[in-house]
Amino acid sequence: MPARQPLAWLKEGWALWVLVAGSVLVVYGALLLVQAPPRQTGIDLVVGSLGSAHAISGTLNEVTPLLISGIAVFLGLKAGLFNIGVEGQFTIGALAATLVALRLPGPVGMVGAVIAGMAAGGLIALPAGAIKAYRGGHEVITTIMLNNVVGLIATALVAGPLKAPNAESPETSSISASSHLPDLIHIGNLEINGGLLIGVLVAIGLAVWLRRGVTGFELRAAGANPTAARFAGINQKLVILKAMTWSGAIGGLAGAVQVLGSQYYFTPDLSSGYGFDALGVALIAGGSPIGLIPSASLFGILHKGGTSIQLMDQVPKGIMYVVLGLLIVIAAAARYRKKLVSDG
Amino acid sequence: MVSWALTLRDQTFIWSAPVALAAMGGFTSERSGIINIALEGKMLTAACVGFICSLYTPNPYLALLAAIGASTALSLFHWLLTQKYRLDHIISGMAINAIAAGATDYLYNKFAGASTSGIVLLSMKFFWAFAYSVPLLLFLYVRYTRGGLRLFAVGNDPAKSRLLGLQPLRVRLCGLLATGVFTGVAGAMLFTNAGQFTLGMTAGKGFIALAALIIGGWRPIPALLASLGFGFCQALQLQLQGTSIFGANLPAEVYSSLPYIITVVALAGFLGRGKAPAGLGKL
Repeated sequence: MPARQPLAWLKEGWALWVLVAGSVLVVYGALLLVQAPPRQTGIDLVVGSLGSAHAISGTLNEVTPLLISGIAVFLGLKAGLFNIGVEGQFTIGALAATLVALRLPGPVGMVGAVIAGMAAGGLIALPAGAIKAYRGGHEVITTIMLNNVVGLIATALVAGPLKAPNAESPETSSISASSHLPDLIHIGNLEINGGLLIGVLVAIGLAVWLRRGVTGFELRAAGANPTAARFAGINQKLVILKAMTWSGAIGGLAGAVQVLGSQYYFTPDLSSGYGFDALGVALIAGGSPIGLIPSASLFGILHKGGTSIQLMDQVPKGIMYVVLGLLIVIAAAARYRKKLVSDG
Repeated sequence: MVSWALTLRDQTFIWSAPVALAAMGGFTSERSGIINIALEGKMLTAACVGFICSLYTPNPYLALLAAIGASTALSLFHWLLTQKYRLDHIISGMAINAIAAGATDYLYNKFAGASTSGIVLLSMKFFWAFAYSVPLLLFLYVRYTRGGLRLFAVGNDPAKSRLLGLQPLRVRLCGLLATGVFTGVAGAMLFTNAGQFTLGMTAGKGFIALAALIIGGWRPIPALLASLGFGFCQALQLQLQGTSIFGANLPAEVYSSLPYIITVVALAGFLGRGKAPAGLGKL
């Protein structure tokens, strides 16, 4: 890097604080613009997402898909890949899981559905990985394009051959209760489905694999320094292909879990943006997959709380996406500054 | 048959115009070295702000200015993030898309309650003339002027161009300001054509524009042609809905997904490989 780059100011803390202050001002101003008292809105946000057993159940119900999708993006990021396609992998995973669960009831169907979901997610990510590894096409564009293709396929299938016989809106029939994911906790109003446990276990598993596994090391090496990885004898192309495919498989898992644990049927808009939020979840998580758990919780709180402030304070839910976008920016800026400072 | 072909032609041109314009926004930004996946968000914000403004003012030019202002403001933010804060271009682009999706939802729900009756809109002819002349002008600009040469120099090798006395940050600022203007007009075209703003009305056009730019090898005229190709697929879908071809009644979605599949194939390098600006995403 040339010496004349004016980076000194970024190393000092104030540049970051300007960004934080600007973000706070924007959100505060937006609330004032719609005449919502910011203090009360903040209180309603917390009460609406954490204030009761019912609210906490709702929040955790949001955390599960965010966490698993976040793991998918995180895995890609570790290999230096931006998997923007989690939205599509989620959708096709959910579709595949629904199809299997509709034909195979019971626990066998549940396991089969999870496997089918992961396979579908992995397969739709595979071309993006292959194009990146062997043809040099940017994975961001291919995954976005594949998202659109998946959305259109799902819409066509659910409007036509897969539509439930008596349904008014485009949706499939419900899967049998015997293949639902079992509840983790069900005490009064506090309902937490088993999907959350799956998410936490996958996050922990990924953390262990990245630290201890040989392939995990290869993945990190290929992501951190491709040239060094090549000289260390790592087949970087294969690592990229595998990382993208597994990332897609986990995205598919997120969709399967959403169907089996929470929605019980498939609609094309099942994901409602979890795949895109996942990028934020993964970016805010920091260096370790364990960080995904608090990060997904934060996003879950904003989602659930955002719905309740829309009802209670007439603040449109869109403000939450503005907050999430700004959080992504601040997290990325903070990480870059940390790197600058540690590099000297 | 003749009228059928005429409709197909018209629909192609109508659909392609905002995409081509957004692709030109992508051109000025990517040629200066900034990966721009935020075209979608910028266009959406412009459409929303422009529409809301046209609800409150009878002057359509004011609404157009507001649309351009909104996307230009986002572009300035984009410049600040990528050039001053040195954020990853993909991350900042996705963040801007998220902010745009949220902000348009917020603004639309709060301010677009007024009735659309009596709303004054610009003629679509104005937009079409603009959209289809910009690629040609840009082609001439990058080919025959010093500014165009600088744009390419900075995008291809920021470090060397700095040694030659160019200021990459300044050139990129100009590139992104142009992106703001082009995506702003594209957004205004969207709400003008529909007569109103709807949430998420860009429906991926910003990403398709980026795809057109890539298929066009980061050159203005080929990118325009790629946009027209995508528009043709889209028009075909509208025309063929419900008609059977070779006895098979394919769902319309099959035709809609063609542009995306073509883009993936193109990125795999099977449709000729365009050369990306060498300094794309570099500091």
